Formats: sequence, C-alpha cells, structure tokens
Amino acid sequence: MTAPLLEVTDLRTHFLTRAGVAKAVDGVSFSLAPGEILGLVGESGSGKSVTGFSLIGLVDPPGRIVGGSICFAGRDLVGLPPEEMRALRGRRIAMVFQDPQATLNPVLTIGQQMALALQAHAWVSDRAAAERAAAMLTRVGIPEAASRLSNYPHEFSGGMRQRVAIAMALLNGPELIVADEPTTALDVSIQAQILAEMKALARESGTALIWISHDLATVSSLADRVLVMYAGRIVESGPVGEVLRAPRHPYTRGLLDSLPAMAEPGQRLRQIPGTAPSLLALPPGCPFAPRCPRADAACAAPPPPRVESDGRLFLCHHPLEAAA
Amino acid sequence: MLGFVIQRLLQAALVMVAMSALVFAGVYAIGNPIDVLISPDATQDIRAEAIRRLGLDLPLWQQYLAFLGRLLRGDFGTSFVFGMPVLDLILSRLPATLELALAAVLIGTLVGVPLGVYAGYRPDSPVARAIMAVSVLGFSVPTFWVGLILILTFAVNLDWLPAGDRGPTVEVFGIGWSFLTLEGLSFLLLPALNLSLFKLAMMIRLSRAGTREAMLTDTVKFARAAGLKDRTILRRHVLRLISIPIVTVFGLELGSTLAFAVVTETIFSWPGVGKLIIDSITSLDRPVMVAYLVLVAFLFVTINLVVDLSYALLDPRLRRHGAAA
Repeated sequence: MTAPLLEVTDLRTHFLTRAGVAKAVDGVSFSLAPGEILGLVGESGSGKSVTGFSLIGLVDPPGRIVGGSICFAGRDLVGLPPEEMRALRGRRIAMVFQDPQATLNPVLTIGQQMALALQAHAWVSDRAAAERAAAMLTRVGIPEAASRLSNYPHEFSGGMRQRVAIAMALLNGPELIVADEPTTALDVSIQAQILAEMKALARESGTALIWISHDLATVSSLADRVLVMYAGRIVESGPVGEVLRAPRHPYTRGLLDSLPAMAEPGQRLRQIPGTAPSLLALPPGCPFAPRCPRADAACAAPPPPRVESDGRLFLCHHPLEAAA
Repeated sequence: MLGFVIQRLLQAALVMVAMSALVFAGVYAIGNPIDVLISPDATQDIRAEAIRRLGLDLPLWQQYLAFLGRLLRGDFGTSFVFGMPVLDLILSRLPATLELALAAVLIGTLVGVPLGVYAGYRPDSPVARAIMAVSVLGFSVPTFWVGLILILTFAVNLDWLPAGDRGPTVEVFGIGWSFLTLEGLSFLLLPALNLSLFKLAMMIRLSRAGTREAMLTDTVKFARAAGLKDRTILRRHVLRLISIPIVTVFGLELGSTLAFAVVTETIFSWPGVGKLIIDSITSLDRPVMVAYLVLVAFLFVTINLVVDLSYALLDPRLRRHGAAA
C-alpha cells in the first residue's frame, strides 16, 4: 500500500460558545490514499462539514481545532502559518460547496472568478488564465466554454453553476478535493450526472476526493470507502460495499433502513427515532444509545469500544452480526 | 435597458412637475407678492395695474401654467436684490458649490470606504475600534464647530491654509474652477474637509456593515477555499458586493450637499449657492428662492437617475438581457 496522502489523527474541532463547548468534531481519525474516494456520511450536525472545513483550515470562529493532527503529504496542517495554509488551499486541496448559487460571486463574470483562482497561486496572464479556464470548463462538460467566460453566474442553470464551481476546484490540479454536499441543491437527474462526472474526473486526474453527504445512496455509487459520523465521531467505517451490505453499527443500519429505496412500496419510510444529541452535552457513554434499539445499561457508561478488523471499524457495545 | 431609461425619465419629469407645483404654491400662491413688490404708499390704480401685469387676477391654475411656461423657457425672473436674471445669478454661484460638494463627498468616500472595509474585515482589532470612534465623532460633532476649529487650527494657529473665501479660479468653458491650481486647492481644502466629516462617518458605517455581512457569505468562503489572499478578496469580491449601497448614498449625499452646504459656506465665506439662498431668504428675493428650489429638485432627480443607471453597471442581474442556459 502506498503512503497515505492524508492522515487525520484524533482531530478535535470545538466551538467555544457562550452556552459551553460544542464538540463538533471530537476525536476523528482516518486516512486517505492518493486518488481514493472517501464518503463521509452523517445527519445534519454530525460534524461532517466541520471535518471538511477543518481540513482546509477554514473553520469559522468561534470554532477552533483544539487537538489532533492533519497530516497532508507529509506536513501537519494543524498549526500551519496562515499564509502557508492559504497557499495550499485551492492549489493542493480544493473545496466544492453545497450551493453554487451562493458560492459564486454574482457580480463577477465566471472568467474573472476563475482567473482570480489561478492568479492566487502563480503569475498567470489574463489571456493564459482565460485559456486554462475555458479548457477546464470544457472538461466539466460546459459547451462553448470560451464564450461563456464573460457570463455571470445567474446566466447559468443550477447544474451548470455547480460544474463551474467544480471546474474552479480542479483548476490548479489539486491532489485532494473536499466536496461538501455538492449535489444536494440540485435536481435528482442533474445529481446523477454530476456524480458520474465527478467520479470520472477524479479517476482520470488521480485526485483524491472526500465526498461529504447525508445521503448514503449517493455515496454508495461513488466512494471506495465510507465513514459514518455521529455526534462528532466516526461510528463506523470500511469499504463502501461491505458497510452497506452488512453494517455493524445500529446507526448505520438505521440510516440504511431510512433510504426510500429500502422501503416496501406503500409503506411509511422507516426513520431513526429521536434526534441527534446536543453537542454541548454529550452523554458519557455511547451518544447514540438514547435512540438505539439495541441499547441497554452497558451503553450508558463507558464509551463504546473501538473494534477494528479487516479494514472495518465500528464503535459499539452491541454490534450487529457480521455477515456470514 | 432603453425601456428602463425611458421609464425613469418619465418618472423624473413627473417629479419635476410635482416639485414645481409645490414651489409655486409655497412661494407665489401663499402670501401676497404684491405687498413685497410695491411700496405700501402706492395708489390703488398702481396696485391694480401691477396685479394685472403680474397676472395675479387670473385663476390659480392659469397662473401656474404661465409660471410653468416661463420655467420651460428658462425664464426664472429677475432678482429683486441684484437686478439680474436669476438663472445667471445662480449659475455664477453653482460651480463653487458643485466643486465643494463633489470634493467633500469624494473625500468622504475615498477615505471612508477603505476604513470601513477594514473595520468590517477586522471588527475586533484596536484599529477598527479607533475607526469607529472617528465615525461616532463625525456623526455627533456639529459642522459649524468643526469648521471653526479647523479655521482656528490650520488658518490661525498654524497659518498653513487660508481661513475663507474662494481664492483664484481658472476659467474652463467660461466657468471658474478652484481645483485646477494648487492655490485654489488650498482654499478648497478646509471647507471640503469640514463638509466631508459627516459623509466620512456615514461611508465608514455603511461599508463596515456591508463588509461584515459579505465576509460571512459562502462567496467569500469559496474564494478563500480557492486560496485567494484576503486583500484580493476584499478588493475584488467584497468591494463589488457592497458597491450598490455606497453608490446610492454617494448620490444622495452629493445632492443634499449641493443643496444644503449653507453652514460651511457661511463659515468659510465660500461664494456658493447655499450662501445665496440664505441671503435671498433674508431679503425676500422670491425669484431666487423659486429658481433655487426648482434647480435643487432638478439636481436631485438627475443624480438619482444616474445612480439608478449605475446599478445596472454594478449588478449584472439588473441588466435585462441574456437568458439562463
């Protein structure tokens, strides 16, 4: 196995609010090989987006990385001087956001915004920038790219806008792209297209991809491996096929059962009862216990054990049976 | 775009008509101009003759139409005090005020916007707090007092700049301007600074608020994720995002300064229209007052029109062409 591109160890990102410390990410560890596609799945508030923003050093105050390390290509990003972190962002680690309507600047042309992204990292003439931008737009499937550089974001459809955002992320040839729910705001038919293209682009350019989503179905068609996050921790991880076929953690099971594709026609969708716990007051034991059908007295006290075997990992006192 | 311009021009014309009616009602119809125009010991015949000559025996609407007709021909009447056509009188003073107002609003904007953007970018830094303190002063300290202090400091004690008056002007297109010579600028500087203080405070607050809001948007976060330097983000992204309110206030301030720079013009004996209007009010010089009010309304309408048109330049979403792909 090759050396990992990214090695996150015991990452802790906390939000120091007036009401107390919200442990949005609390002891997350995982690694990522070059060119690997990793799915990061969880409900709203599970800490998956904060994990993504931690990686590129853009956690909004009052959030702060309070512990752990993010080793990227041999360098720890935690505690890196801001200017070095900035130089890394967009060039070696890029990010795509959820809502392309909100991320692209409405008053600058696509060409201007792409040129800025290029010129942030190297001296590039406006003309060369336009050529590279047009070439990248063509690659992400935007027709007549050269003539569309002078268009403003509102002159593109939602799907096209997200392609522009993806093209901007790919512009400097990064080794890692963090994609934070990039298809959530799009039509289902467009979602599938973007998903397929993103996968193809990542594969052909050898870019590693962290795909953050609340949607297990999306991740299953895209990722090599999946991490399931709950209340700031990774509760289960493993190769995507195995985890989906035979989840060991009851939370993963619950997520799978709540997928519309799993329901009998005419039946109500199954959902996980209750809501995610407040990050301000996590229970001492398993944070999922209050919602878990398998929970008993043992789950209330010590934190669940970390069980690791054959590339699978889960944190549970009462795991589901492994597949035969 | 053309339709938009035509629509705005029609609106502007309507505003002008409404304004002229108000001015007419305020200055001609209320009170009796005859009492001002004719000496109290005139005979009844002379009074009747004057009333007929001035058309005051006609119904109100006919008087108004006649007034409007004269306005359209550019005939604002003759000043009682100066005995010259009012339009010439005002136009001889307007460049001085125009120059002063423009200098003040430009100083306020060019200094205020960068300060405000910085204060919004680093709201908790000591520098930002100092900037905000300046803006509070700018809002709360009265203009006349600042003007006197400026004269006392820079003209009397330090003797760097003249205390008042307009100084030499250079003729361009038959109009005298101060800003073209260094000496002229030295006369312009103090009154312009005095007037700009309030605008500076306003621009600081406005751009600070806009910047704080813009810094939290996904647009800025995405630009950061692309590795842009904060300076570049502020200059290229944020400044464009906050430009519409700034241009709006720029226009409004320019208009109101043109119309009401009275205090500063008086303190610095600046020979502008503000001083003229105060003089004409005290001497009941009605034609000057009327012409002034109509011109002020015209200036406001024009400035607002330009501001509206500039929106389309600043925000492509307001241009009505192009379709989503």
